[in-house]
Amino acid sequence: MHSGLERRANAERTASGCERNNRTSITPAKASAVVQSGCLMSTVFVVNQMRNDNALEVTNLVIRYGDVTAVDSISFNARYGEVTAVLGRNGAGKTSTLESCEGVRRPTEGVIRVLGADIATASNALRARLGVMLQDGGIAPNARVRSLVHHYCTLHGRGGDADGIITKVGLTERTSSTWRRLSGGERQRFSLALALAAQPDIAFLDEPTAGVDLDGREMIRGIITDLVHRGCGVVLATHDLDEAERVAHRAVVLHHGRVVLNDTIEALCSNGRRLEDVVREVTR
Amino acid sequence: MKLVVAQWRMELTNLVRNYEQLLLILVIPVGVLVFFGNVDVLPESMNLSRLVSSVLTLSLMSTAMVSTGISTGFERSYHVLKRLGVSPLGRTRLIWAKAGSVTVVELMQVLVLVIIATILGWSATDASWWRVASALVLGTAAFAGIGLSLAGRLRAEANLAAQNGLYLVLLSIGGVIVPVSELPARLGNVAQYLPSGALAEVMYASLGGESDSSLGAWIVLAVWAVVAPFVAGRLFRFDG
Repeated sequence: MHSGLERRANAERTASGCERNNRTSITPAKASAVVQSGCLMSTVFVVNQMRNDNALEVTNLVIRYGDVTAVDSISFNARYGEVTAVLGRNGAGKTSTLESCEGVRRPTEGVIRVLGADIATASNALRARLGVMLQDGGIAPNARVRSLVHHYCTLHGRGGDADGIITKVGLTERTSSTWRRLSGGERQRFSLALALAAQPDIAFLDEPTAGVDLDGREMIRGIITDLVHRGCGVVLATHDLDEAERVAHRAVVLHHGRVVLNDTIEALCSNGRRLEDVVREVTR
Repeated sequence: MKLVVAQWRMELTNLVRNYEQLLLILVIPVGVLVFFGNVDVLPESMNLSRLVSSVLTLSLMSTAMVSTGISTGFERSYHVLKRLGVSPLGRTRLIWAKAGSVTVVELMQVLVLVIIATILGWSATDASWWRVASALVLGTAAFAGIGLSLAGRLRAEANLAAQNGLYLVLLSIGGVIVPVSELPARLGNVAQYLPSGALAEVMYASLGGESDSSLGAWIVLAVWAVVAPFVAGRLFRFDG
């Protein structure tokens, strides 16, 4: 880990003494230790992780739109308690891949297993455990913050506390505002709040920091770190490679619909290289 | 069931907050009934019973076709349907919640319009309410099918224009305000096969009016009630 990341990691140490280095994945063994040390960790996740480390398994995924092949037989996994960043240029297939994993889009070929089940036949009970943040929000302009977050907490039925979630995403002053009256950054946080309403076991976040200012980014980074420490698998699609380097444990780089790189950030950024340089090199 | 009820409440809340929709589903039908109930500008044959059946037809078109179609079209373009589709609610429950919302609005419309018509001097003693209910069910299926066929394919703005345009055409020459029998022969021949003309006719017969073409109108309406939802099911795309 180079010095910049060390500084960031140090800044994320909590007052309780539980080190929140967001580059440290939560393995089953570590999960037990974390529970004993008093950090946030749900028993459900410990059980899940004992069974299988992978929150998401994508195998030979193909997505075609007419004659255009957007995603060309890609395979990768995402683990519980880790952030997996799906990276690539515009049109590389990131959003198509995420939307297939979320169950929005039916893939042309391939199998996607989310939380151990095939997403094509996923039950509503399984969907309740998925946190989804769409790139385009999926929120009507007249939807009010508190009302919609509360509604999604009800739909997911996982005991999500709407007010707590709104506080977490920093929208306490905007609870009665409609989507159309929010700034770009506030809209992103509103959309993220709907994903958090699921109290997710796996979260799919598509460009969560797009259009968000520095403070907002810091807040979203903190929320992602919290999810990871709860044992949630986070799959993040982003153009922001600096952001990905800060929060992700693993990067899957897509280029023209194919996986051109799939490794840990630590390995990719060895020898002091920046993720941006590594990704640029393979997507030329 | 809990999720359907939650979504149904959300749908109704959104409707109440949307003033354009309220204008369409309540103010226009009430305005038409009160205006034509007091001002003698319609043909002789357009008695109060005929006017009530026309306004009930108009209100059903407003709710099942235009209001549902426009709101669903915008929800689709804002990806609201896509987002709800991947929530535990799912698509089937979302459709049930929307159907429940339309039903409640229609019952409210019938109640308000019947009260106003009674105040204007109309008597409901000859009405067959089970026939009225059957007409509402078939009419809702037909018009919701047409509204969702447009909403599920067109861009939101094009859908808005199409729904409003179709609404005005059906109102004026579709046998709603002016009965099929009073339209010029060529127009009348077309209007009797339209869902608007058929619904107005069965509604008139169900409310106690004398109609020669009641059976034919029931058949036309039933065909629309089957075909339109089928077409909507084939055309509709959740994601805009």
